Parts: sequence; structure tokens; C-alpha cells
Amino acid sequence: MKKFFAVVRHEYKKIVYKWTFLVGTLLFPILGICFALVPALLFSLKGEATRIVIVDPTQRIEPRLRAALSPERMQEKARQAAKDASIDISASQEEQLKRSAELLVSGFVFLPFDTTGKSDDQVRQELNAKAAADEIDAYLLIPADIGARNARFEFRSRKAGDFVANDRLRDALNQAVRSERLSVANIDEELLKGLSQNINFQARSISETGDERDSDMLYLASLVIGMMIYITLTIYGQVIMGAVVEEKETRIAEILFSSATPFQLMFGKLVGVGLAGLTQLSIWVGSLVALFAFLSTQAEGAEFLSTMPAITPLMLVYFFIFFLVGYFIYASIFALIGSMVTTVQEGGQFAFPPMMIMLIGFYFCFAVIRDPNSSLSFWVSIAPLFAPMTMPVRILAEMPPFWQIALSIVINCLAITGLVWLASRVYRVGMLMYGKRATLPEVWKWIRQA
Amino acid sequence: MSLTDATLKVANVSKRFGEFTAVEDLSFEVMPGRVFGFLGPNGAGKTTTIRMIVGITAPDQGHIGLFGERMSSNLQDKIGYLPEERGLYKKMKIVDQLRYFAALKGVSRTTADERIDFWLDRMKLSDWKTKKTSDLSKGMQQKIQFISTVMHDPDLLILDEPFSGLDPINVEFMIDVLSELKSRNKTIIFSTHLMETAERLCNDILLINKGRKVIGGRLRDVKSSYGHNRIALRATGGEAVLADRSVVVKVIEHADETDVELADGADPQGLLKSLLESGAVINKFEAVEPSLNDIFIAQIGGES
Repeated sequence: MKKFFAVVRHEYKKIVYKWTFLVGTLLFPILGICFALVPALLFSLKGEATRIVIVDPTQRIEPRLRAALSPERMQEKARQAAKDASIDISASQEEQLKRSAELLVSGFVFLPFDTTGKSDDQVRQELNAKAAADEIDAYLLIPADIGARNARFEFRSRKAGDFVANDRLRDALNQAVRSERLSVANIDEELLKGLSQNINFQARSISETGDERDSDMLYLASLVIGMMIYITLTIYGQVIMGAVVEEKETRIAEILFSSATPFQLMFGKLVGVGLAGLTQLSIWVGSLVALFAFLSTQAEGAEFLSTMPAITPLMLVYFFIFFLVGYFIYASIFALIGSMVTTVQEGGQFAFPPMMIMLIGFYFCFAVIRDPNSSLSFWVSIAPLFAPMTMPVRILAEMPPFWQIALSIVINCLAITGLVWLASRVYRVGMLMYGKRATLPEVWKWIRQA
Repeated sequence: MSLTDATLKVANVSKRFGEFTAVEDLSFEVMPGRVFGFLGPNGAGKTTTIRMIVGITAPDQGHIGLFGERMSSNLQDKIGYLPEERGLYKKMKIVDQLRYFAALKGVSRTTADERIDFWLDRMKLSDWKTKKTSDLSKGMQQKIQFISTVMHDPDLLILDEPFSGLDPINVEFMIDVLSELKSRNKTIIFSTHLMETAERLCNDILLINKGRKVIGGRLRDVKSSYGHNRIALRATGGEAVLADRSVVVKVIEHADETDVELADGADPQGLLKSLLESGAVINKFEAVEPSLNDIFIAQIGGES
């Protein structure tokens, strides 16, 4: 037992007493804050305005465009985009990119241009010359008959890559032309707008006790929990693998094995690294709690907190248990891989399957959030390998019956026992095999022999 | 435990890896307070045998007794093992590594710190105590490794090629340390390819090949049982006698003397007599014991 604790202490200190641990631990909250603040910061930035000439023979479109693209309207849109970005974190990469770009969009400056007595070609030539001379950035030619089916709106810009500004202009132009057509057809635009307005759809989930909760926030909180467990499992699984490979690569294993049993060594390593992970996780959870405590003292914060799903101490206990369960499952898999391979790089290739399984487990979280009581949710929250990620999310979404949680814990503890047994057998043989990577049939032989 | 009880007793031990037999029916004893040379060519089964002795692997057949008990993980603390493949944590401070290795051998923290200071001082490495392994030269790492082998004051030391990577000065220094340990009645098992070093240090030897014992016993006995078939000769004349292949197998001329190897069954006294009768003038005639190197080559080289 003394030797076991020596291994635990060694592994723990090796990780925690390092400046990289401190940086890593602080980086996560800092990154979190950055993600919250950056959109707001970008929002305050201003780019250069696009200088544009609009040639509008109808004189009906240009005023509408000017109004739609006024600085006030632009700012309002950007503010809306910033709000969307901070709430909807599941948006696709493309959407996110577009949103942050929208925050950056600058306004338009409308320059006058006299077209009297000039032919279309003359107008084009003159405007092209102006653009070449850097007097304007873009121009828009509006056809005389905007009602015609084949009416062509010509837009020429030196900033053709500025897709946001161009999109914005096109949207505004579409809108302007549409309302002009409506007014020509004698349809009241305001009335049409009022009639075709979207309904107000209020989504809230009902828990078994009948309490209402805000689903948006539930979604967010579940995702954060699932992600935190997923990230720490990935990181510390890799740490375990690295530590095992190091001892194999540097031949320290031989000294270790002549001093303590492989089981003491491997289990000590799992526990030591696990405690380091727990230390980090508690710092993160602690800072979250502190943040919430601070928020609750602010008027706006309290309002925000009231929308959060209530996390009871029992839930925290469950999260803790499932984190440990997940840790031991994946850590023993990674330890097993580490003792099979000869270098960390090789380990990286072998680590791919368990990483995929973890990722699939993480994706199942979405299914669980959407329907915590479906049979899919039941099975994935019981299944070994997936349960550590899906069960906490399910608990948060809607507390399942106790027997299901207990069943999940029992099944996963059995899986741990099997995996640790398997891993320590591969470990004791594999750690002393130098030079070449083991093939799967060889590993199978070790398991039977050891 | 009386002094006559063997420190280590290996009895009919066999170890197989699948089809391959690494060690077969190997038996030997190592007596306390002696330096035991465990010799053999590469792949002879030395490392496999040592791993069974230190409890890393278990024999398939036979058993291993240590200090009169059957080998178990509790006995590991009484052994200091310096493997051939050396290993230290690259990015860890020397003192932290040594503390860890000591803790794994069941040494308390305070005792460990005392011993670490003592040994670092002894090895003239005190300045490197808080440095990382990667800052040390190979020879220094070697000495650190040696400290980790002896700092829990084991009764049995098993050293696999302890001098590889050391310069001659450090080799002498280590030999001093080993003889001091021996004088404190520590038992040392010493595995090497270097026959000269083995000859110098060992009281007993065991030569194995292909997992089996070839010869073993007191170094003195092994050598004398091997017979005196080599003569260092300084003489003028007698060429005809030396050319007789029924008596002399090989003649090697050195700068000032001649090395003569006798044929099987030939007798040094007979050769001396024939030389005198042939009228040769003899300045030196010495029956030389075979070196361990000769024995090694004769035994192993002949087989393969």
C-alpha cells in the first residue's frame, strides 16, 4: 500500500507541480471569458466605409436604400448579431465566421453622381474611371423599369471579397425593390408585414415535478457539462498514455517492475493522474461557482441565473461519480495502448479509436438533451464507454429514475474492472518489450500468458 | 541465516516465450559476500534469468529462493537491480527521481534524503542534485542510476553491465565502491561481456549459453580445471620441436616472447624436456593459466 501511494504521489506531483499545469488550468477560464468578450470587443471596432454611387433613374429605390443602410440601422443589426453569437454556440463554423464578420461591417457612404445627358455606356466608363482613381469603391446601376422580369441590377465593386457588405447591400436592395413593387401594386406594406409576422414561440421544458425551465439554457448547461467531461477525459487519457510510453521508452519500467508490482504501478498511475485531473476540474468548477456567486449579486446576473437549470448537490455527486467512472474507463484504455506502442507518435495513431468513441459519446449528448426519456437516451446512458458523457447530461436534462443511474454505475464499474485487469496484463508484458510495436495477436497472447 | 546459506538459489528454472526457450533447467547458487560473475554471449538468457531473480517475471518451471525464502514481491526491497538498459525520467530533478525510487523500495523519506546526500557526495554529484536528467552527461546519469540501485542498502546487488558508458577513471572509482560494498558482506551478481573485468572482480562465475549452464564454480577452480595448455616462452633454437603438430597446436610470435598453445594431452613438462634435448637455450618457460576470455571463446566460440 505504501508503494501504491508513492506511485500516486509521484504521478500527481509530476503533473501538478509544473508551470504548464498552472497555465492550462488558468487558460480555460480565460478562454471562456474571451469567448464571451471578443464579440463585444469586435462590435466596437470600425472598418472603413464603402464609398458607393447609386445611379437610380427611377429615384424610388435610392432613398429606401439610404435609409436601410444608415449607420443607425447597421449598428442595430450588428448588435443583434453579437447577441445571437453569444447565445447560439452550436452554430456552424461558417455561420459563426459570418456573424463575427457582420460585427465588423462598416457603413456605406453615398456619393452623388450626375448622369444627366449621359448614355449608359458613358456612365459606366466614367464610374469605372472613378473607381480606378480610388475616388469610389463601388457603384450600383438600377434599371429604369424595376418591375420588368428581366430587370438587371448591376453592382461593381473594388471590394468584391467583402462578402458581408455585399450581402448586406443585396438584402437591402431586394427589400427596397420589393416594397417599391408592392406600393406600385397598391398593397400596404405595413399591413403585409403585420400579417406575415412570425408567431411568438415560447419553448420551456417541464420537469417531473412540474416546474418549468428555460430550454435554451438547459441546452447550454448540458452542453457545458458534456464538454467539460469530454475535454478532461481526452486530456488526461493522453497524459496517461504519455507517462506510460515515457517509462517504456526510457526503460524506467524495468527498475519500477523490480521494485513494485505492475498492478501497484499501473493503478497508482491511474489514481495519481486522476487526482491531478480532479484538481484541475475542481478549480474550474470552483471558479464557475464563484462567477455565479458574483453574478447573483448583480441585478442583471440574477436574472440570467434564474434561467439556469437548478443544479442540486445530489447532481454534483452524480457528476463526480460519472467523471471518475469515465476517467478510469478511458485511462485504462490509454494505459493499455501506451504499453503496446514504442513512441508517443505511434500511440497517437492507436489512440484514434477510443477518441472516436468518446466523440460519438459526446454527440449522443445532443440526442439525450433533445429527448432525455427516449429509449436511445436510456441505452446510451447505461452503455459502458458512453455513459460517462451521456448520463450526466441526462441527469441535468431530466433526472432519470434512481435504478437507471445505479444500473449505469454498476455496469460501468464492471467495465472498469475488466479493462483494468486487461490493461495490467498487457502492461506487465508490453512494458518490457522494446524495439517494436506489438501486433494485436501478440497482445492477445500476453493477456492469456501473463 | 548462517553464512553458509546461499543468498540466492536458482533451482531447475526454465522460461519459455512461446516456442522459444530462453532458459532451460538452470541451477546455481550465489553465496553471501561474494562477487558472482554471470557471463554469457548476447541472447544467452542472462537478462531473462535476472528478471526472474528480481521478480519481474516468474519462471515457468523450477523455483528461485532468496535469503532462504521463496521469491516474492516483499523480497524485492532487499535487491538492488541495475538493468542494462538504463532509464531515468528526463525532465525530473535528480533528487525527486531518487526519492521516488527510494519510496518504491520502501525507504522512508528522511532516510532516503540522508542516503541521497551521502551518495551524491560520494559520487561527487552534489552540485547536480536539483538539476534535471537531461542536463547530465551520460556518465553522470550512469552514476545516478547506480545510486538508485544501492541507496536502499540492499543485501543483494544485481548489476547488468555496470561499467558501460564510463571512462576508465570512473570505472576504477566504481570498482572501489563495489569492493567496499563487498567488504560489508553484500552479495554482488555481476553480468558482463568484459571478461577482463570479470576476471578481476569475481570470486565465482557462471557461464551460460542458449539458456543452459556451460561451466560454473569458483573462478580459481574453473581456471585450473581448464588446465595449463599455454606456455609463455623466451628461447633461442628448438624450432623443430615447436613445429611438431602432435605437441604444439599454435605458435604466436610476440616482440620479445612466443606464445605456445599445447595440443590436447600434451604436457608442459614433456615440451620443456624436448626443448632442452634439442639444445635450445631457454630464458623463460612459464605455464600460463587460461584467461577467462580464452575459456569464454573456447566454450562459446566452439559451439557456434
